[in-house]
Order: sequence, then C-alpha cells, then structure tokens
Amino acid sequence: MEEVGAEEQQRFCQRQRLKAAVHYTVGCLCQEVASDKQVQFSKQTIAAISEVTFRQCENFAKDLEMFARHAKRSTITTEDVKLLARRSNSLLKYITEKNEEIAQLNLERKAKKKRKPEDGNKDSLEPDVDVGEQ
Amino acid sequence: MEETSGFRKELVSRLLHLHFRDCKTKVSGDALQLMAEFLRIFVVEAAARGVCQAQAEDLDVVNVDQLEKVLPQLLLDF
Repeated sequence: MEEVGAEEQQRFCQRQRLKAAVHYTVGCLCQEVASDKQVQFSKQTIAAISEVTFRQCENFAKDLEMFARHAKRSTITTEDVKLLARRSNSLLKYITEKNEEIAQLNLERKAKKKRKPEDGNKDSLEPDVDVGEQ
Repeated sequence: MEETSGFRKELVSRLLHLHFRDCKTKVSGDALQLMAEFLRIFVVEAAARGVCQAQAEDLDVVNVDQLEKVLPQLLLDF
C-alpha cells in the first residue's frame, strides 16, 4: 500500500518538474513576443499559457500514438507530426517546410561527420608543415 | 535564437512519454525536433493572439481575460 503511494508521489513530482520546465520555456518565448510587440504579459497569463500547453501535450501525445499505430508503426515519425498539424492550412505548410529544413540539416550534419576524420588528419599535418617552414 | 528559447528535445520527449498509453511507443529524432517546433509555434501563437486582443482593447498588458477570449479559436486551430 505504501509503495503504491510512493509511486504516485514520484509520478506527481515528475509532472510538477515537467510543468516547471514548460513554464520556464513559455516564459522565455513570451518575453521574446513581448519585446517584439512592446506589450507586457501578466504572470498569470504566462502561467495560463503554460498550463494550456501542458494539457495540450496530452492530446498531442495520444494523437501521435494513434497515428503511428494506424500506420502499423511503434515509432512516431515526422509524418505523424505533419498529420497533427492538419487543422490549419498555414500551420501544415509551415510544419512541412520546417520538416524539409530539418531533414536537409541532418543530411548536411551526417555528411560533415563523414568528412570530419579527413579534416582531423589535415589538422594534425598542418603544424608539421609550419614547423618545417620555420 | 530558436535553439536558446525553444523547447528542448529532452523536454518534448518526456512530455510525450508521460501520456503514451503503450510504453513501447518511441519517437524518432526528427519527429522530436519537429514536435519541439510545433509546440513553440503553439506558445508563440497563443502569445501573439493575446497581444492582438490586448491591442484591440487598447491595453498595454495581456491579462488572463484577453487570453480567455482567444483561447477557443487557438485550440480549434491546433
């Protein structure tokens, strides 16, 4: 009985920590919007946006899980996230563009990783050349 | 700039895993990154619509009242 209580307590603490993290992020984002538009946000407003975001995450998570399962996958992919943005045309367009951007960036990063070992060799050679010149 | 103030991938991952019914469900790295952007848009959109409402009411501060007015449409859009 006590163990169940402890587990419950732990889950509650985890939730609170995540909420705090969301609150911090929302605070930063609101600060940006505020300085951009020269309007202030009350603390309660920031707290309310955080709470809404945290609760929306439940819907998002359940939707994503269902989408993946519908496609007979156990891993959620960017296709599922795109489906999540279906309700608004401009949002879908933006998310699709962002997806391509992220894919492009990751491709470049992978290409760099492959190239890096060669760069490392060059770096180690260069000092030797300098010494030779001196 | 987005990297400094957006949602971190780890946070997004934990938020999603908190609500998954099946603990075997996984999220790909790209999906996490896109989801972080999605959440960032959600928050920025909430803030921006709040600002619009406050400006329409000729206020300098966005209060919960203004947020309440834009919230229904916001939730329909996401």
